[in-house]
Amino acid sequence: MASSNVSTVYISVIDDVISKVREDFITYGVGDAVLNELQALWEMKMLHCGAISGNIDRTKAVGASTGGTAGATPPVHDLNVPYEATSEEYATPTADMLFPPTPLQTPIQTPLPGTDAGMYNIPTGPSDYAPSPISDVRNGMVINGADPKTGRPSPYMPPPSPWMNQRPLGVDVNVAYVEGREDPDRGVQPQPLTQDFLMMSSGKRKRDEYPGQLPSGSFVPQQDGSADQIVEFAVSKENAHQLWSSIMNKQETSTKSVTPVIPQRDGIQDDYNDQFFFPGVPTEDYNTPGESAEYRAPTPAVATPKPRNDEGDDDDEPPLNEDDDDDDELDDLEQGEDEPNTQHLVLAQFDKVTRTKNRWKCTLKDGIMHLNGRDVLFNKATGEFDF
Amino acid sequence: MATFELYRRSTIGMCLTETLDEMVSSGTLSPELAIQVLVQFDKSMTDALENQVKSKVNIKGHLHTYRFCDNVWTFILTDAQFKNDDNTEQVGKVKIVACDSKLLSQ
Repeated sequence: MASSNVSTVYISVIDDVISKVREDFITYGVGDAVLNELQALWEMKMLHCGAISGNIDRTKAVGASTGGTAGATPPVHDLNVPYEATSEEYATPTADMLFPPTPLQTPIQTPLPGTDAGMYNIPTGPSDYAPSPISDVRNGMVINGADPKTGRPSPYMPPPSPWMNQRPLGVDVNVAYVEGREDPDRGVQPQPLTQDFLMMSSGKRKRDEYPGQLPSGSFVPQQDGSADQIVEFAVSKENAHQLWSSIMNKQETSTKSVTPVIPQRDGIQDDYNDQFFFPGVPTEDYNTPGESAEYRAPTPAVATPKPRNDEGDDDDEPPLNEDDDDDDELDDLEQGEDEPNTQHLVLAQFDKVTRTKNRWKCTLKDGIMHLNGRDVLFNKATGEFDF
Repeated sequence: MATFELYRRSTIGMCLTETLDEMVSSGTLSPELAIQVLVQFDKSMTDALENQVKSKVNIKGHLHTYRFCDNVWTFILTDAQFKNDDNTEQVGKVKIVACDSKLLSQ
């Protein structure tokens, strides 16, 4: 009963998310197929870990469609560019590539200098490279001018706005700045040719993106237009990669990262150790071997604590502090969390936490609990713990 | 609207994150969009918990560790008992992570 309830909530969350990001997907020029794939994958994973039950009608329907999308979509994606695989309408992308159907949709195109116009005669710019039009344009002039067939995105970049020509100084500054960031991006996408094709084929998509891009001012190179308007926080292409990987890292190390935040570097051992340098003292329990050495080494140090501590700082303190933070028991507890499904976890919001002596009381709300392999949701919870 | 990223660590959130990560790695999805989806998930999950879930739970246990950092309470309980209307779960060790609910209303 309870679990089917959870399942219902989860499914409604999935539906809610999918329906609400649909607009974003459209704005980004990503087809519904990708969204469906996302939903299918997500629900499949949920089914696998038992978070939702498979016997809900809607889920079944989705499951069926999962097979469909899984069969059709993924292979296409792998071969093609990021978002493009979804657009069925590009059955013959080559035609699109060679003769962009809507060249007029990039009004900026016109300002191009006549000499360079040849390079830009395919103006379809995908959002991917929009972030750094300037550097690409510049590359186009320098690099692609020499070797136009390298397949670099520059030829297809949205043409530079007129101000570029008017203010070469600004260009230079930006280029130097942008290019450094652009490089890793290139490294990441080793098949520029394929990418370019896809981008070129995206004449349609461009239409969607441009309204956002033009008004936002092509001045700032990192703005890729598509993100600027829709996203609450501006995420540029490069940033998004970093942000995304940081999110992924955070998921993995979220608990551990908390510990180092509390610095124990208050020089505990300064006075303390001098007074209690006898090795048999309980403090040994959480000492590192390094500190034991400190104990052993200098008996005279007691008399002159300062110099010894200075030396000790170099050799012994860092490991000592790290270990202090990791308190053995806690470490064990958190290690356990790395094992999926074995760790019991409650994620919630607290309204109030109070303590009287060793008695803790807390009221929580809106929680997700993962206990004994099952998910349980609650609206309110009260906790009474003794410490 | 403010949201917590807290729920991303739940089963449903992890499933979503994995899915997005796979799609980003395969190039199907751009990272920007993936982040958008996660942000939307934060909202939707918070919303669903607030409006669709009615159950109450009682928690008892021995508090092994407590920590309050950056407005987040973390409790590690041992021998904890979770009671709701129709069920009682007993676990040897559980971690509770709770964000300040007041932050959401701001």
